[in-house]
Amino acid sequence: MHPLDRPRTEQEMWHDRHPGRRYGGRRPGGRTRTPGEPMEPLPPDHDAAATNAVITGATRWAAISRFRQAGDLPGPEGGPLSSRGVDTGSAPIFLVMRRMRTPLIVLIIIFGITTVGLALAPGETDEGEPHRMGLFNAFYVMSYTASTIGFGEIPFPFTAEQRLWMTASIYLTVVGWAYAIGTLLSLLQDRGFRTALDMRRFTGRVARLRDPFLLIAGYGHTGQRLGRAWDQLGRSFVAVDVQPTQIESLDVDQYFADPPGLTADASNPFNLKLAGLKNPNCQAVLALTDNDDVNLAITMSAALLRPDLPVIARTISAPVEDRMLAWGTPTVINPFDRFGDHLRMALRAPASFRLYSWLEAGPGSEQPPPMSPPAEGLWIVCGYGRFGQEIVGDLLAEGLDVVVIEPDPPSDEFLAAELDRPVEELPRVIHGEGSEPEVMDEARIEHAVGFVAGTDDDTTNLSLIAAARRRNPDLYVAARQNLPTNQSLFTAMHLDMLLVPADIVAREAYARLSTPLLWRFLEEMPQRGEQEALDLIQRIKHRCGQYMKDVWNVELDAWQAPALAGYLDPDAVSSRTRQRRGIPDGRRIPLTIGDLFRDPDDREERLPVVPLMLLRDGEATIAPPDATELRLDDELLVAGTRVAQRELQTTLLSEGTAQYVVTGTRMPESWIWRQLAGRRLPQ
Amino acid sequence: MNLEKVIFGFFVLLAATLNFGFFIGDISNSELHSEYELYAAVVVSLITTVLKFGDRTQIGAVHLATSLVADLQLGTAAIVWVYADYVSSSGLDAHAMASIVSLSGGALLANLVSVVLLVIETVSFHRR
Repeated sequence: MHPLDRPRTEQEMWHDRHPGRRYGGRRPGGRTRTPGEPMEPLPPDHDAAATNAVITGATRWAAISRFRQAGDLPGPEGGPLSSRGVDTGSAPIFLVMRRMRTPLIVLIIIFGITTVGLALAPGETDEGEPHRMGLFNAFYVMSYTASTIGFGEIPFPFTAEQRLWMTASIYLTVVGWAYAIGTLLSLLQDRGFRTALDMRRFTGRVARLRDPFLLIAGYGHTGQRLGRAWDQLGRSFVAVDVQPTQIESLDVDQYFADPPGLTADASNPFNLKLAGLKNPNCQAVLALTDNDDVNLAITMSAALLRPDLPVIARTISAPVEDRMLAWGTPTVINPFDRFGDHLRMALRAPASFRLYSWLEAGPGSEQPPPMSPPAEGLWIVCGYGRFGQEIVGDLLAEGLDVVVIEPDPPSDEFLAAELDRPVEELPRVIHGEGSEPEVMDEARIEHAVGFVAGTDDDTTNLSLIAAARRRNPDLYVAARQNLPTNQSLFTAMHLDMLLVPADIVAREAYARLSTPLLWRFLEEMPQRGEQEALDLIQRIKHRCGQYMKDVWNVELDAWQAPALAGYLDPDAVSSRTRQRRGIPDGRRIPLTIGDLFRDPDDREERLPVVPLMLLRDGEATIAPPDATELRLDDELLVAGTRVAQRELQTTLLSEGTAQYVVTGTRMPESWIWRQLAGRRLPQ
Repeated sequence: MNLEKVIFGFFVLLAATLNFGFFIGDISNSELHSEYELYAAVVVSLITTVLKFGDRTQIGAVHLATSLVADLQLGTAAIVWVYADYVSSSGLDAHAMASIVSLSGGALLANLVSVVLLVIETVSFHRR
């Protein structure tokens, strides 16, 4: 971190000369500041614009990171009051110490009195001579009496005085022990103590995470879907949610790993830091709570505390989206907006949309059926809330006729501003319930081609669909499912297109995070035309089957593909290695995509792998043909089975396999065989 | 005035004074050192330790550390006494007594540090 280049004030220079002293302590009195006058006289060459540029310009993060280094923000609850933050690790120990203070003191006093009393009580030996027990023997007797391990009279049978004292002691010590043990047990039941213990366990586990992990703030339906998919990939994540039930689902549900979860308010930066925001292995932050304000707060904390981290935030409100985008470059996912985009893509390029949704749905998803929404005709949209407005705007932009049914629509001026259209071009709005026959008649349901059930109530949506289908069975039906628990009902309706906000966010976050190139492919692919998308769907289906298998990156650099580096670029390996591999100097054996995907067991066979995209020098080629020649530092995005992924890995790593796959000759693997072969075969 | 502070100061000082009372006198002469005084010193020292539990400030941590040192030294002294008196064949001779008293001398030093800390705490309390 570099200090900002600005002139040092007189006060700062004074502090340099007199460390640790108070500035202006012996300042001669006299001039007082008049109201409105600046606190310090500005330097003569002061340039306000330049000063602001220092803070808002390129060095803004440097300025912000100074605050980050200086300390962390205290939280509204549970946060540390000191600037250094609180050490949560030792909290349970101190809690036990503080709570056990009184019982322990009572126990010590009781022990002290009873022991000294017994030591002083007159006793006698077997012979009848007077004897005092002594402190050590008294302490020994008291110890076993108090803990009721046993009873005996040592070293000689007690006298009446001693027994009198013992009787009192027994009751006293039992009270002391009962008090101490009772306090300890109630402490273990105490909620504060258990929270402290849980917190300690959680922070310990987060600190021990050595693999890259996701920080999922908000572990509702979206977070759980994403978390499960992430777990399936064998990667780790940390979950934070304010609801204890959501975090408890981490223990109940089936996960390969044991993901740590914290029940806390994620809008508090202190809790985010506990969850590993500052951990160098943190890969991305996801703000997926139901509350837009909380998501905004998470985006803000992540941008301030870790500006280098990618942030994915969910929101359903456009103003909040704008406010989020003011903080660095977060990816903001608005499910309604995205659904409108998907609908437009489906209208314009059905095959591209099929491929898009197949890949986005992740491994194991079935190929979507070939179907496209009717691209001309009348569409009826029920519900004119935030979702309805997004959909209507997208349908109008595609040049379709739209009729809206809504009992209580917003004003025309509001809609005109929201949809960014003149009032005359707004769609016709029918005031009424969509399930009523007269309203359906008025909307001319018999002549409609598409129907969108988009209210915020699932029961209403289902009954709307049922009513519309009865009147016009050929309708293309799209619906909004609000509660994930109603999944089975909507599945039974066999809808053409379904919006589940939780799913849309989870899928897009997955596509953006799981494989670095996948999102780039999904962005570029729709522009390549329908035929190319159809071909790709056919090729994936032909090689890998009806269900989507894994999608992963193949990086052909010297580090990830050492066995192939010599073929990709002869200068990348030493001449000795080249000789050992039988590659003559100066001659390059070309390696094509088709060669790379040969089966290491039988090179005439082809691995069940489809290349989706080739990235070379930042330039992407969608669906590269098999004859494409590969070069060093190329990146490939491929889809295929997990077995094929492992086979491909051998080709990348093992020299012998690579030589066989590329040239067809088998190279001896061991040193002895290589020597023998080297003698036999002319180089 | 704070009753908690009174009790705390009382026990810290009592631990130091009892310890001092036991320590003073010819180091090897067992007649000058009472076993009951050592016993009282151990008990008061333990109570002082527990009183210092749960204070999470820096000065509280040092307080606790000094008390633990005093407990350790006094406890060892008591064990040496019991060993010499009941187990050892030579009994409570000058050598055993010297080691007991010197151990309690170490504890006395820790207790004095504790008292100094108490004074520092009190003085700095008025500053604030």
